Amino acid sequence: MTNDLHARAETLIAKERVEGISPVEQEWLGKHLGECAQCTESAHAMQQALRSLRTLSISVPRELAARTQLRVWLRAQELQAREPRWRLIWALCGASWVAGAATAPYVWRGLEWIGHRTGMPDLVWKMGFGVWWALPAIVAAAVLLMEGGEGTTRKNVNGAA
Amino acid sequence: MADDTKTLVQGLRQRDPEVLDRLIEQYQYRLFRYLLYITGNTDRAEDFFQETWIRVLERGHQYDGKFKFESWLFTIARNLVIDWQRQKKAVSLDSLTDPEEGRGFEIVDEKADSPLHLFLQAESQERVQASLQQLSAPYREVLLLRFQEEMQLDEIARIQATPISTVKSRLYRGLEALKGLLAGGAA
Repeated sequence: MTNDLHARAETLIAKERVEGISPVEQEWLGKHLGECAQCTESAHAMQQALRSLRTLSISVPRELAARTQLRVWLRAQELQAREPRWRLIWALCGASWVAGAATAPYVWRGLEWIGHRTGMPDLVWKMGFGVWWALPAIVAAAVLLMEGGEGTTRKNVNGAA
Repeated sequence: MADDTKTLVQGLRQRDPEVLDRLIEQYQYRLFRYLLYITGNTDRAEDFFQETWIRVLERGHQYDGKFKFESWLFTIARNLVIDWQRQKKAVSLDSLTDPEEGRGFEIVDEKADSPLHLFLQAESQERVQASLQQLSAPYREVLLLRFQEEMQLDEIARIQATPISTVKSRLYRGLEALKGLLAGGAA
């Protein structure tokens, strides 16, 4: 029997477990194993390794599930408590944008008037108008950053992961 | 979508802690075992176990029920471990995910006894455990997912974010290595 045949048998033994083999390959392998003690031993070793792996058991630390459930409940409460605050922030942002759009022509004229009265360059009062528009977004970003900071602190306090 | 999955998706979207309670009970063994396999350390596996469920609560709305819940769960757990590794070590990501680059993914606590060792009682199990400890984490991980979790290759590929060909290659190499180690130990 050539080495090629043994190598093919070895390949099929593993392939059978990993991705499955065709009926033709199955038939060939069965026949080869019937004639070759060396490959039969290899197939047996593979079967043994998998059986050992499947029967391997571990113990979950006591109270781990309970501790986790408690943490999840606390975090759920924390998230729930934040929800109304977030809704309020978005509502305020929305109202602010609507009001900003509605008053934009007046704000523009107002800033232009102040700019001319004080003699400031056009670029400055035009930038002021930009800030007026960006204000809600800046406030929302600041709140988000603060929320992020709180999240990081929580993680550090928990000391996990 | 089956009714169970629908209920699960809805519960996760609503951040229902009771749904989470049930899931923690149901998946505690499998998730802890998975984390123990990929971290190689009991304490870290416990930390990541808790963090994983917190993440499930926070990101529950992202689960759409298209794939099995356990695949999504394991993906979250795996990403947490990888993120932690990334923060801890200034190593390339390749070494975390490619077993050929060494054992970077594995977390070894030199002060403690082998954590798997502490968990295993029977003598034959100790031998398997010793063999597994010698395998690098990505091999242990695929062996667990395929032969203990009995996942399909495409599910494993999704969890590991690698092509199926890589999963197969890891499985072949892992199996070969495990077989060799067990045969060596028995001799």
